Amino acid sequence: MAEFTLDCLGEACPVPLMKTEKKMAELSVGDVLIVSIDHSCAMKNIPEWARKQGYNVEIEEVDDGEWEVVIEKTK
Amino acid sequence: MRAVKEFFDKLAKNETYVKIFKTPFTYLTGAILLSIFQVVTFGVTGEPWGVSGTFANWGAWLYRLVGGNVDRWYYFSSAGAQAVLDRGFFNDPGTMRNLGIIFGALAATLLASQFKIKKIKSKKQVVAAILGGFIMGYGARLAYGCNIGALYSAIASLSLSGWVFALFLFIGAFFGSKLLSKFFM
Repeated sequence: MAEFTLDCLGEACPVPLMKTEKKMAELSVGDVLIVSIDHSCAMKNIPEWARKQGYNVEIEEVDDGEWEVVIEKTK
Repeated sequence: MRAVKEFFDKLAKNETYVKIFKTPFTYLTGAILLSIFQVVTFGVTGEPWGVSGTFANWGAWLYRLVGGNVDRWYYFSSAGAQAVLDRGFFNDPGTMRNLGIIFGALAATLLASQFKIKKIKSKKQVVAAILGGFIMGYGARLAYGCNIGALYSAIASLSLSGWVFALFLFIGAFFGSKLLSKFFM
């Protein structure tokens, strides 16, 4: 049930998605990963990928042009 | 001032506003809008939509501005290219379109209140951006078009060349992503 963070601020597609995929593989079931992004298309492709994996996803707008994607590894 | 703030707070929660300006359009909506506007630009300007060729003209105009001359450069040697350059920056449909894209993108990000100046994370990013931009720009001129002029507009004009371009675009993207994961992961 640990919480991890991944700083992808200042990084353009598809690097945030690639890093998220890699990081999620290291997590155990039940863990949560918070990905910080400021690239709007990462706000689309990261949740899309995570939902396809069957994970729980939430997006929070933390500032102008800045988001946190919260992904729970459910399986 | 308070009334202004209240107005904008209310606007930010307005359903229609959020739907149009805040939430990204779906790929389908985007595709339909692009299709409509490329027909419009074809009809109005008489030439298919292109982006990168205009940047080469901007370069030529800048070079002229400092006293240079591109008349004998092979790329600009055709009568058509010379006519475009002689008409000038403000009489060029491609210039207006590209300025529209740049200022339109700025307006869109401001309307969604998503404008942000991003920090540069590493020197690697700078090198990759400059090198990538150069290779893309140079390649687009060699191919007489980028993914808009040589791919999108070509396919929309029922040209086989667009499909050939698409095939090699995928090959390029494949090797590009290999490089990306090698240097940025």
